[in-house]
Amino acid sequence: MSILANKDTRAVIIGGIAGLNAARRMAQFDFLINRPLTVQAFVYPPEEGQQKEIYRGGELNNVTVYSSLEKALEENPQINTALIYIGASRAYQSAKEALDAKGIKLVTMITEGVPEKDAKRLRKYAIDCGKIFNGPSSIGIMSAGECRLGVIGGEYKNLKLCNLYRPGSFGVITKSGGLSNEAMWLCAQNGNGITSAVAIGGDSYPGTDFVTYLNMFENDPETKAVVIVGEVGGTLEEEAAEWLGKEIRRIKVIASIGGTCQDVLPQGMKFGHAGAKEGKKGLGSARSKINALRAAGAVVPDTFGGLSKAIKQVYQELLKSGAIKPEAELDEKLLPALPPSVQEVMKQGDVIVEPLIRTTISDDRGEEPRYVGYAASELCEKGYGIEDVIGLLWNKKLPTKEESEIIKRIIMISADHGPAVSGAFGSIIAACAGIDLPQAVSAGMTMIGPRFGGAVTNAGKYFKYGVKEYPNDIPGFLNWMKQNVGPVPGIGHRVKSVKNPDKRVKYLVEYVTKQTTLHTPCLDYALQVEKITTAKKDNLILNVDGTIGCILVDLDFPEYSLNGFFVLARTIGMIGHWIDQNNQNSRLIRLYDYLINYAVKEEREVPEKK
Amino acid sequence: MAKILEGPAMKLFNKWGIPVPNYVVIMDPDRLAQLGEANKWLRESKLVVKAHEAIGGRFKLGLVKLGLNLDEAYEAAKEMIGREIGTSVVRQVIVAEMLDHDEEYYLSIAGNRDGSELLLSNKGGVDIEENWDTVKRLFIPLDETPSLECITEAAHEAGFSGEIAERVAKIASRLILCFDDEDAQSIEINPLVIRKSDMRFAALDAVMNVDWDARFRHADWDFKPVSEIGRSYTEAEQQIMDIDARIKGSVKLVEVPGGNIALLTAGGGASVFYSDAVVARGGSIANYAEYSGDPPDWAVEALTETICRLPHIKHIIVGGAIANFTDVKATFSGIINGFRESKSKGYLENVQIWVRRGGPNENQGLAAMKKLQEEGFDIHVYDRSMPMTDIVDLALNS
Repeated sequence: MSILANKDTRAVIIGGIAGLNAARRMAQFDFLINRPLTVQAFVYPPEEGQQKEIYRGGELNNVTVYSSLEKALEENPQINTALIYIGASRAYQSAKEALDAKGIKLVTMITEGVPEKDAKRLRKYAIDCGKIFNGPSSIGIMSAGECRLGVIGGEYKNLKLCNLYRPGSFGVITKSGGLSNEAMWLCAQNGNGITSAVAIGGDSYPGTDFVTYLNMFENDPETKAVVIVGEVGGTLEEEAAEWLGKEIRRIKVIASIGGTCQDVLPQGMKFGHAGAKEGKKGLGSARSKINALRAAGAVVPDTFGGLSKAIKQVYQELLKSGAIKPEAELDEKLLPALPPSVQEVMKQGDVIVEPLIRTTISDDRGEEPRYVGYAASELCEKGYGIEDVIGLLWNKKLPTKEESEIIKRIIMISADHGPAVSGAFGSIIAACAGIDLPQAVSAGMTMIGPRFGGAVTNAGKYFKYGVKEYPNDIPGFLNWMKQNVGPVPGIGHRVKSVKNPDKRVKYLVEYVTKQTTLHTPCLDYALQVEKITTAKKDNLILNVDGTIGCILVDLDFPEYSLNGFFVLARTIGMIGHWIDQNNQNSRLIRLYDYLINYAVKEEREVPEKK
Repeated sequence: MAKILEGPAMKLFNKWGIPVPNYVVIMDPDRLAQLGEANKWLRESKLVVKAHEAIGGRFKLGLVKLGLNLDEAYEAAKEMIGREIGTSVVRQVIVAEMLDHDEEYYLSIAGNRDGSELLLSNKGGVDIEENWDTVKRLFIPLDETPSLECITEAAHEAGFSGEIAERVAKIASRLILCFDDEDAQSIEINPLVIRKSDMRFAALDAVMNVDWDARFRHADWDFKPVSEIGRSYTEAEQQIMDIDARIKGSVKLVEVPGGNIALLTAGGGASVFYSDAVVARGGSIANYAEYSGDPPDWAVEALTETICRLPHIKHIIVGGAIANFTDVKATFSGIINGFRESKSKGYLENVQIWVRRGGPNENQGLAAMKKLQEEGFDIHVYDRSMPMTDIVDLALNS
């Protein structure tokens, strides 16, 4: 048996993230004792309509968040308990609404820092409605083997250690939340565990008091003794003593009262819970509470540490008198273990999971990213540059100094080619339409393809093919290209020609062949091809795509990576154009009519639809 | 409970029509001369100068001076401002009109669980203690306002009569309004004085406590509550309060000079029981401390270092109940770092450390704490099977 919370308890949690965490802890208890989910709904207007994931063991449940208690109850009429997890400024209103709701019999509030007047009003209101308002500042309510409300009881392991999976014979009432857990443990360690435990909160004017629950425990035949943990301040402990002394009670009372140290502290020095304040003339002092409880027949040890012995003693007496029958120890192995997460099981090596993706270039699981094993900061410290990072991430090799110089120069001369080309123009149109940077740059990026900048890969690919298959037979290569591919990628320019050479090509070729020691079979081959093609037609020169493609092949980059150099380089330019347009606050543009040839049909009437 | 100083209390009285004497609060004595030019009452009335600080026993310390003229008030203010009393410094004084009066009354109101209680007596001032039994008490149920007739009747029962009874009842009704609307916990006016020649009343001295948790609904509360520990805060306490204000969960510290057992305990309930256990076993605490609500490890580390620096300590009690949701491993890693840091700075010599704790990740937390033995700490670590406060017994018997 139990008080306040039992197997039929169904709860709504009013509040945000703290409430969700509590709901998850509560579901762990639901799993332990194999009962249906306690939390049936959340009320939290900012997250209306969301579903919250709650695991009861391995079973995933979705619990709905409602914008109002009324709606939550309309769809979940089985709810009979409300837990208030909302901030102090809204706690009063929420609790009052909950007390007003017809089906709700118990409202318990964890919120701290609730104004005293609000707490006093809620207490009175609950009494007038014939309902229970527990808290504020209550960690929750636990009924062993039946129901957990709030995070009371702590982690899963502790639920088992405190025997909370099955009822014992001790009731627990505390002001402090931490000590409710401690008291439950003491009852399990020195006795047979608890029936129910209630934290009433440490505020000055809690909604309920020791007497409220002592009466309930007295009427619960399974509860044989009650452990009270009180403290200096107020008169709730004195009232408990009065209750105990008034008539012969069935239950035994064991108590510990905090705050005796205040007798010897410098005058006026106070600490602890909000309610832990001694009144005038020693009223509500820990000492007066202890004396009152002892006089009424309660067992009150000198220190909290003495509770262990006191509980043990009472338990032995109850066993002797036959009020409690000794219970066979339950093998803990019979209790379910909380299903571990995949990560936990993998750590223990008990499961094999086939990976979804595989990577061979980088890893940021440590303190900083590592590129092919090298720490990024160490690369910086040792003087490496962005060219070397490209070498690592695209080709898994650290380039030599000479090689990285070439990579750097390729990127530098390809970074931009003015606003008129497809890529830059695309980005500019987007920027003028007010599009954000990433989208505007990808508009330009979309242009990169067979006619614009996208020939690097194919140029590299086919010249490499030529070197391999037609090493000394350029006409044979050209013939093969004609039959199988078409025009040679990397050969030909719209405006440049032999007489009007592309300066970038000239520069790159001269730099690579004259100022570096790079072995350039592919570039050499392409230059041989150019000699033959320009003999046929003046503008069939080796263009910049072809040049870059060949050099990169000679640098040993994989052929499918080659377009990446143009993409990377042009990104710099496109970002520049986007920033430039924004700086100038450019307006939306559209083509002038005179730039369009409207080769359309004349105006005519739409025929009737057939 | 948040006690507020006389200045802000007078301001709230004014707001609710409770008569107060003329007053000014100053930080610079020279300001008084200028105020004297602007205010006739400062030039023509007898004045009282009081240190406007949370210092107990001000009268004995010479921090209250009565019956002064403006020049004497200037001298008194000059003498008081800047004076150091223990750990506090007088920074402000309140200069008020010392109303010549014929009689002194007592008027107070305090909250209780079911509402509040109004206390009335026509024997106020220093006589109130010995006349406590004659004080008239009127219970006011929560959210009810007694009628003026009802209060007047109470005033009659308290020994007031005629027009004075009516006027006292009127002031009491305003006191009730002020109490209710300002989320007060208690207001004590002693004395409420009367000058019969012009029937002028004034609350000459008052102590007011407001509910600091209700500040969210009082936009005009421009004051800060006075220290709750009966003296002003030390630098170390202030530092911990500043951290407390910034974090999830809480850390708290109160220094108790002269003690040799330091507390580094968890939870509002358990921490008090640890203090009790020290006292019960004849020891003396060097401080009260508390961390709770799963505070971040760096906050616990700062608290630890502060506690390690307390002078003359022989033991540190790292105690706590079985936590509901405070992560033992994480908070202990803050404590361990604090211990290491303190040791490297030369603290913790000949200090024994006693640990008892349970809660989430207790095994890892306790194991890490135990490993400090290998680093030369005199540390004794116990788990949940050790009764909570029994480590205090072990420490004191060692």
